[in-house]
Amino acid sequence: MATTTVLTTESPDRWKYLNNILTRRGPYSDETFEPGDEPKAFLADLKILVIGAGGLGCEILKNLALSGFKDIHVIDMDTIDISNLNRQFLFREADVGKSKAEVAAAFVMKRVRGVKITPFNCAIQDKDDEYYKQFKIVVCGLDSVEARRWINATLVNLVGEETLIPLIDGGTEGFKGQARVILPTISCCYECTLDMLTPRAAVPLCTLASIPRQPAHCIEWASVIQWPKEKGDLKIDMDDPEHVTWLYTKALGRAKEFNIPGVTYAMTQGVIKNIIPAIASTNAIVAASCCNEALKIATTASPYLDNYMMYTGDESVYTFTFQHDKKDDCPVCGNLPQDLAVDPESTLEQLMEKLQERPETTLKKPSLRTSTKSLYLQAPKQLEEQTRPNLEKQLKELMEPGDELSISDPGMPFNLRFIISFSS
Amino acid sequence: MSVPGAPTAKEKKYDRQLRLWGAGGQEALETAHILLINATAAGTETLKNLVLPGIGRFTIVDNAAVTDEDLGTNFFLDDNSIGLSRAQKTCELLCELNPEVQGHFINDTIENILKSAPEKLKDFTIVIATGDIPTATLLSLDSILYPLGIPIFAVRCVGFTMTCRLALSEHPIVETHPASTVDLRLFNPFPELAALVDEKASSMDDKEKMTTHEHGHLPYVLILLQALQEWRSTHDNNPPSNYSQKNEFKSLLRSKMWNADEENFEEAIAAVLPHFNVPSIPSDTKAIFQDEKCTNLTKESTSFWIVARAIKDFTEKNDGLLPLPGALPDMKAESKDYIRLQNTYKAKARADLAVVVGIVKDLLVGLGRGSGEIAESEVETFCKHAGYIKLIRGRSLNAEYEQSPRAQVISSDLSDPTSLIHYYLGLRAYEAFISDEGNTQRTAPGAEDPIVDTDAGKLNKHVTELLDKLSITHSPELLEGTEKAIGEIVRAGGGELHNIASLTGGIVAQEVIKVITKQYITMNNTVVFDGISSRSQVYQL
Repeated sequence: MATTTVLTTESPDRWKYLNNILTRRGPYSDETFEPGDEPKAFLADLKILVIGAGGLGCEILKNLALSGFKDIHVIDMDTIDISNLNRQFLFREADVGKSKAEVAAAFVMKRVRGVKITPFNCAIQDKDDEYYKQFKIVVCGLDSVEARRWINATLVNLVGEETLIPLIDGGTEGFKGQARVILPTISCCYECTLDMLTPRAAVPLCTLASIPRQPAHCIEWASVIQWPKEKGDLKIDMDDPEHVTWLYTKALGRAKEFNIPGVTYAMTQGVIKNIIPAIASTNAIVAASCCNEALKIATTASPYLDNYMMYTGDESVYTFTFQHDKKDDCPVCGNLPQDLAVDPESTLEQLMEKLQERPETTLKKPSLRTSTKSLYLQAPKQLEEQTRPNLEKQLKELMEPGDELSISDPGMPFNLRFIISFSS
Repeated sequence: MSVPGAPTAKEKKYDRQLRLWGAGGQEALETAHILLINATAAGTETLKNLVLPGIGRFTIVDNAAVTDEDLGTNFFLDDNSIGLSRAQKTCELLCELNPEVQGHFINDTIENILKSAPEKLKDFTIVIATGDIPTATLLSLDSILYPLGIPIFAVRCVGFTMTCRLALSEHPIVETHPASTVDLRLFNPFPELAALVDEKASSMDDKEKMTTHEHGHLPYVLILLQALQEWRSTHDNNPPSNYSQKNEFKSLLRSKMWNADEENFEEAIAAVLPHFNVPSIPSDTKAIFQDEKCTNLTKESTSFWIVARAIKDFTEKNDGLLPLPGALPDMKAESKDYIRLQNTYKAKARADLAVVVGIVKDLLVGLGRGSGEIAESEVETFCKHAGYIKLIRGRSLNAEYEQSPRAQVISSDLSDPTSLIHYYLGLRAYEAFISDEGNTQRTAPGAEDPIVDTDAGKLNKHVTELLDKLSITHSPELLEGTEKAIGEIVRAGGGELHNIASLTGGIVAQEVIKVITKQYITMNNTVVFDGISSRSQVYQL
């Protein structure tokens, strides 16, 4: 890659206010903080990674650039959509269809002189450990649980004598959001708190197939049952208006048949894309909080968040700042397996379905082993065929109480470990 | 492509926010005109968060020229802006964010406008005051705007700290967006609902008259109502009232299951605790009914008070029950049975609405106004939210500063060194410092290194003066937290940190949106945020 020339002809006044904080000790500053030129130089040399260049990412890039960070990387595999423009302020209508990471990086570099932002239009999984090791801090503005779990586990795995990369994570929904600081293996990690997510209330297939009652049931019927039936292997593209229109029309017909009111185009989109409401102001609050923590961690100018802040704006202004406990049996940063009570009469396949209902065990292609045998392996093909008959078997044939069950998944750089007990 | 119901270009762009405040909220935003005083980083970031969702218009008043320091904190300025009008340059770069928004700027001070053309202020929906504005100016603005009902947000953002004081006179909120508006009327079913229970559930225990499939698909609302009849017959016609009775009732439900996997009965059991409540009018709604503006309507009464009064009259003739909202949660049932139950609730809600609409018309005629002045849709929204409405009565800045400060709020927090009240006091002292007549340049405390400690001493003195004025007892021990807060404030030397300015812009914009859309519940009346401990606190001062 060609080296970028960074313009550094700045007036000394530019960072006067930031410098006040860095050259003066505050009443709450840590003892180790040495005000002066050192924190300034440190900030300028420090490499920081931003994951996501969407609603939070745009804010994060702007905030870091105006907090004295000079060497920023950003990763995002998405392209710009029209519905991003109500909050992703680095993008204009003419940018629709372009890479978020590239447009965002170019915009901030043009606006804030002296900052170098290196964009990557790819998935975070495309980068290896060596890539992640070069950063001192990672700030995440993602809307995907899966990607958060991946980067969290990756940074925990990287912890070594010389490496400990803090992960600062933000998330929003409507008027609410949260910002948190994760010191891998030291404070609670993303995986430790997965049970805070609300479990997906899955609608039973029989409701969709025969007794719909809600507009959402009609929409899910159209996408889950009718689409594969009529379109075969063609995958639904949630962003293709023709596909959405097809689903909307089908759902509307279904609703009419059962006298169910309320199916709309917007609701169809909302259900199939699992749309979460998002506004600029909430993104601003959460991203600013994340970057404020990044600045404090990078400079030690003031103590940083330990370790979680929730913001609620729909009823007055309310923050809840607390220390979330680290879990000893966290599959990523803990060292103890979790307990899992299973029904010995149920089959392995039923167990796998049950695991999908819990956020902490929702996996794409899980493979299951006990310490003595492989129960079900997704790959390679021969082993999948060999273990497939186990799916039908009852658990009592496959394991005993006290056995350790280990679950791996190609999407997760760690294994889930459980100690089995039989429920009556 | 013209699919009926497909979104317009505007609906696509604003999709993620329309899901929060709907077309009504959006319309309110698009007709609003915001005044920003001083294009500080916090002020500009606030406008960014309002321009993006499509506020109608904004105007920036500021006579400053752009400096290098501005470029270090304000994203809506660039190298080419140096030396030019800060109002103009920020206005230009903000306008790039959304072609549908009109931006204006006035290259002048707010003091000059207050002197020469105060009537201009009447055109604004909301005024946001940021930067080093002295107390006298804030109070002059308040004297004009508060009586007109134009809300003022007085924002101060220094270093790791911010406060936002909202002066809002009277602010009724109908669409508070509660998690649920479900009222199942389990303890007092209306006749149509009782009839449906008789028809569908009376043979719930009779295996001769009901198939297993029917039994497993009875909507849980009908199960509960049928079982309640049985319970009442052995309990002096009373429903289960305490925790142990509710548990007993759950056992009764369990005994009525025909097999262990009847989900509808499980749903019924789970609904006992959340839905078995004696009907009552929530305290916020009751306070609104008892408000003088509700009991004494005048020709000038706003539609909120007229509809509130109509609903009050309705409840008095309706056994103290509010109009039925009509919502029904999903439950295991055959499609047709669920829809029928849903329609039973909806029909009752419509009938209640019709009665309220009638009362509204009578009230309007009685006041000598047109009977059609209030749209039925407005009454309908009100009826659906009658149990969740809120009224915020704020306080003017003049009331806080000059007349009867709520000293109790401050004194009760003072002894806690971690309380954020210390930042409030520190920033009031900051304001006193820049308002000092001797400080003609409005130099901020801690502006230069050698005077940091001297200025901290001056701020501490301002705090003790304020506390004395409020007759709040204080001592060096009590003011330990305040002294630290002041230490942080002078450390910043009057400067904004971009992160805190941006966070401030987010908090203030959320509140502005809530006030303009009259949706969700607005903060009342002062929020303090501390970026060191990442905490906020709201005080009613």
